[in-house]
Amino acid sequence: MMQKMNNMKIWKFIPLAAIVVFFSCSKKALTIQPENKTVPEGYYNSSQRIQQAVIGGYVDLRRALFANYAWLMYGEVRAGDMNVTVPYLSAVANQELTSGNDNVAQLSDWGYFYDVIKDANDVLDIIANADEEVLDSYRRNLFKGEALALKSTAYFYLARIWGTIPSAEKNNMGKHLSNEEAVSMAAQFATEAQALLPWLLINDDGIESAALTAVRFNRTAITSLLAQEELWLGNGQNAYDLLSSTFTAATVDSLSGFGLSSGADRRTSIPQNPLSGSAVRMPLDKLDVIYPEGDARRDRMFSISTDNNIATLKVRDASVVELLPTREILLLFAEAAWKSGQLEEAKEFLIEGASGATEDYSTLTEATFGDALLLERQRLLAGTGQRFFDLIRFKKVSAFISSFTEADVDKGAAWWPLSANSLRGNSWSQNSFWANP
Amino acid sequence: MRFLPKPAEKNLFFLLVSLGTALSVWAQDSLRVDSMILSNRSGLENIMQGSVAGLRIKSWSGTPGAQSTLNLRGLSLDPTDHNTMPLILINGVPVIASPSTVTGINPLSYFTPEQVERIEIIKDIDRLAAFGVQAPNGAINLIMKEGESGSIHVRANAFAGMNFLQNMDYRKDAFYDFNSRARREAYGNGGFVSEQNLLVDGAGTYGSYLFGLSNHQDQGVIKNSGYGSQSLFLNAKYNITDRFSAHFYNNMALSNRRGRYAGEYDRDFPLPVIADETFFMDKNRNVGLVSSMGLAYQFGSGFKLSSVAGLSYEGASRDVYVPSNVLNGNIFASSVAYKRQLITVNTTLNYLRSFSDALQLDMTLGNEIRSTDDRLTSVNGERSMESGGSNFVKVVTGYNANQTIALSDHEREKLVSFYGIWKWKYKKDLDVNMVLRADGSSLYENKWALYPAIGVHYDLKNKLKIPVKVNASIGKTGVLSRPEVYRGALEAYGEYYGGNYLGVGELYPAFDGAKSIGVVQFDAGLSVAILPSLHLSVNYFSKSYRDFTYQRFLPNISGIDFTHETGGTVKLSGVELSLDAQWIRTNRFTWTSNINLASYRNKVKSLPGDIENTSLAYLGALSEGKAVTSLLAYQGKQPKVIGNSEPSAFGGLTNTLRYGNVSATFVLTYAWGADIVAESFSSRYYADRVGNEFPLKHAETPYYLIEKENGRTLYQGIRTVEDGSFLRLSRAALSWHLNSLSKVLSQLSDVQVFVRGDNLLTLSRYSGINPEENITGSRRYDLRYTGTPLPSSVALGIKVVF
Repeated sequence: MMQKMNNMKIWKFIPLAAIVVFFSCSKKALTIQPENKTVPEGYYNSSQRIQQAVIGGYVDLRRALFANYAWLMYGEVRAGDMNVTVPYLSAVANQELTSGNDNVAQLSDWGYFYDVIKDANDVLDIIANADEEVLDSYRRNLFKGEALALKSTAYFYLARIWGTIPSAEKNNMGKHLSNEEAVSMAAQFATEAQALLPWLLINDDGIESAALTAVRFNRTAITSLLAQEELWLGNGQNAYDLLSSTFTAATVDSLSGFGLSSGADRRTSIPQNPLSGSAVRMPLDKLDVIYPEGDARRDRMFSISTDNNIATLKVRDASVVELLPTREILLLFAEAAWKSGQLEEAKEFLIEGASGATEDYSTLTEATFGDALLLERQRLLAGTGQRFFDLIRFKKVSAFISSFTEADVDKGAAWWPLSANSLRGNSWSQNSFWANP
Repeated sequence: MRFLPKPAEKNLFFLLVSLGTALSVWAQDSLRVDSMILSNRSGLENIMQGSVAGLRIKSWSGTPGAQSTLNLRGLSLDPTDHNTMPLILINGVPVIASPSTVTGINPLSYFTPEQVERIEIIKDIDRLAAFGVQAPNGAINLIMKEGESGSIHVRANAFAGMNFLQNMDYRKDAFYDFNSRARREAYGNGGFVSEQNLLVDGAGTYGSYLFGLSNHQDQGVIKNSGYGSQSLFLNAKYNITDRFSAHFYNNMALSNRRGRYAGEYDRDFPLPVIADETFFMDKNRNVGLVSSMGLAYQFGSGFKLSSVAGLSYEGASRDVYVPSNVLNGNIFASSVAYKRQLITVNTTLNYLRSFSDALQLDMTLGNEIRSTDDRLTSVNGERSMESGGSNFVKVVTGYNANQTIALSDHEREKLVSFYGIWKWKYKKDLDVNMVLRADGSSLYENKWALYPAIGVHYDLKNKLKIPVKVNASIGKTGVLSRPEVYRGALEAYGEYYGGNYLGVGELYPAFDGAKSIGVVQFDAGLSVAILPSLHLSVNYFSKSYRDFTYQRFLPNISGIDFTHETGGTVKLSGVELSLDAQWIRTNRFTWTSNINLASYRNKVKSLPGDIENTSLAYLGALSEGKAVTSLLAYQGKQPKVIGNSEPSAFGGLTNTLRYGNVSATFVLTYAWGADIVAESFSSRYYADRVGNEFPLKHAETPYYLIEKENGRTLYQGIRTVEDGSFLRLSRAALSWHLNSLSKVLSQLSDVQVFVRGDNLLTLSRYSGINPEENITGSRRYDLRYTGTPLPSSVALGIKVVF
């Protein structure tokens, strides 16, 4: 009897053990889908999540440009036009860019811009692998266009800040690109993006949103960017053709500027109100030189405190820092027309774009047009960070930066030096000026 | 003539013959807990201190409830890594044993030593390989007491005593010498320590039972802090039929630890002294549960099938509130809960076969499933008094996400294993153990890894008539990688468009090539019975660890900071020596001793190329052959090895003397050759402030360390490189059996009273309080990785058996 009972028990026991063993040996049993974990593989399975990756690119671009007020440091501060109340201001304004200050060292590091390029390339890969049901054609084109525009922007900044740069594209990672090669590549990406980006973006409620369009790449912004790149390359005619074919009477109501939205960065402390008057300001005497009394735009653009002898930019929307404002379009038209040999048309664009100026631009000649255009760009684009790049493009660095001779500029003084972190591992060396400044 | 009641006699018998028992288990130490001198501190590891050659138990912290570090032939590139801890098993079932980072409460304090029958120390690879990646650094198996024959026995014991700081001299001590008044306010003698245990057991043909409860309280020497733990346990066997049996084990513990700010966290004692900690709160609560259920069936034909399901769970929660007087006008509140669980199912088929009178086989085929699941939830917030905070209301209600941070995380891991153990026995002379284990891990793309081992044990007594046993074994095992390595990570970069959108991107990519660190181990041993009462064993081992996972930093045009790679080889080898002696044995007087000594060497065999661009850059100054545990610093501009954090040798000496009804035992522990880098409190400079030249200071060493702080380079001077050698009277006990009392009360089978002391005396040239207090071998200027002062304690106790 006992033996029989024993046998019964064991027959119950053996299948149980067999099931356990069988179940445990399959590969499926050894695979765990992580919960509450943001894992790269398989994460981007919805348009919202892919949009997070696109936004990641904007956030990285914002870190590259806002950390340490970089966009102004690369632009108006280095050119001596604007002041920012930070301890390293004088190092930048005095062209002491290898001073050893940590903030300046970070400004000399190109890593943040390459982070944007990596983000953009990742987004392009994600889109290429996304199923049709995940992304409709509007979002597919938008996200792809934004990724290309972000990449173009990053390369263009890199080329304008450091001159020659390495490529971060998969097919030629690390390849040394001349300044022209780098900007040409940026222009290629922008051309591709220009065909994809809409004039106005649709928000999550399915409605065209001007506020959203103003902080994401759109048709207006990418056209301005591409025109800038073409002009940097000296392709005036290309720029003119692009501008005149894109900005027509039919599209005038769809125009939108582009800037970066403010917001919290979880990795670095970036200024929450980058253009706050308490930090970014222009000495009044400097303003008087740029905007003489009587210029109608002076009060429109600046708040002037004669008591404190300072002028601060009027910020219409504190949540956006404009990088490619619509007011630049006419100046781009003017420059493109001038560079493509149409001086009269160029003057008309300049006069229209510089409405409110005290100067009479109708008398400009081929020889004087460049200076006038440079001045108007300085006036209208104050706060967008383009000033020093304009000096390079107009070959006026030594004329405006007293500490640099023409020979210094030839040796590379107009470019930024590279941080130790950027030189390391990239088989790169400091240019001849900054190697022995 | 009976000079002791029977059970006590049995205990004493164990006391005297434990040596013989230990030697009967090949290449594996077995400690019978009833014969050991226990500790006034909680934590089972403390009773093993100094008892086994090669088992290093470092009493690094005096905080009650903290775990002493355990190392059993373990090596890691990171000295703060828990990976070097041996696997802890209870009745052969793995349990969660390392303290959580949330409360730091020691899971080995959930068990009273009174419920442990014996402790098996497993070091050799031919036994370890059966545990695969779970036990690359040895294993400690705690075998719990079972009920003894008879309907019911009741055992009760209790002790109570005091903690005190005997060698904290502000004129001598390096760290506490700059605000001695505050130090005296925070640390003080007289912290109460007590424990009560009650066990009830019995056994019969039905099986056996043992259940009990325990309470331990320890106030330590940090005023207004303390630790307490209560547990209930059950160990029962039930014979369902004469072939089919079930085994249940259960231990449920509640632990709590109260911390204080000054003295425990702020060790610098800045002025003014924070005297009032009325509103400071640091409450740590743990729930520890270990439960297992085993079924075994014995076939008639030599087969035995058994399956054991084990569950180990720990819920750790910590509530912290820091009032405004501590936090410069701000208040901070935090609540963290960390729940860890480990479920194992181990099914084995055992087969015993005698091929002839001479050759026997003991074969086990097994399958083990191990699943871990750890969940972390935390909320914390900070606000200023101006924003409406109040010291009277210990809560932070965040107005928005900037004020309160909430986190929830979840980590799971599965391991499936198949293993076979073949133990061949030829006559009485030769044992051959063969093990093959395959571990499949959910962590890796390439799931399976194979771990073989073989060991040969030979007794020369029969053939050559000499009392010598020799053994040798070789095999492989592995150390699991951490989950984040294989998984890759996205990062939330920041908010955009009015905070409506979150931008994310890849922080680092998943590592498809992730795998376990490979460990190849070789053991050789010799055991000699010099006299019947004098046994010497010498063991050598060599372990080679290869394929560490590390980060490779990428050029900054890559857009990501690093990827993972595997590489590097380091070696750990050593000799362990153990001498067990019974010097005198008469009816009135016995004297037994154990002395053990281990001498280990670790060294770098190879490191990854271009190491400066990896997360192992801190090892960059180490050439081949240098110790991994070298202490590195700069002299001038050159990196230099200035010491070794590991001792040349360490061990313990246990002596037990009995005269009549009185017995005395003491344990000495010692280590020598370890160096301690004592950082300077005042030589700390921003590099750019001192022209990138470290300024040498009078009466300090020329060595300094380079650190980063707020993106700036910082030079940290080193005051002294000290000798960490020490000799410590770790534990001592004097007990007296009250035979006359048990004669009067017939139901009383044993009564003894004892007085016991912990950490009674330390001889060392180290300038701090405790030469073992530095986890990394460096005493940092801010005391990070340095324990609180280790107290001494003396307790008076009684043990009664009915």
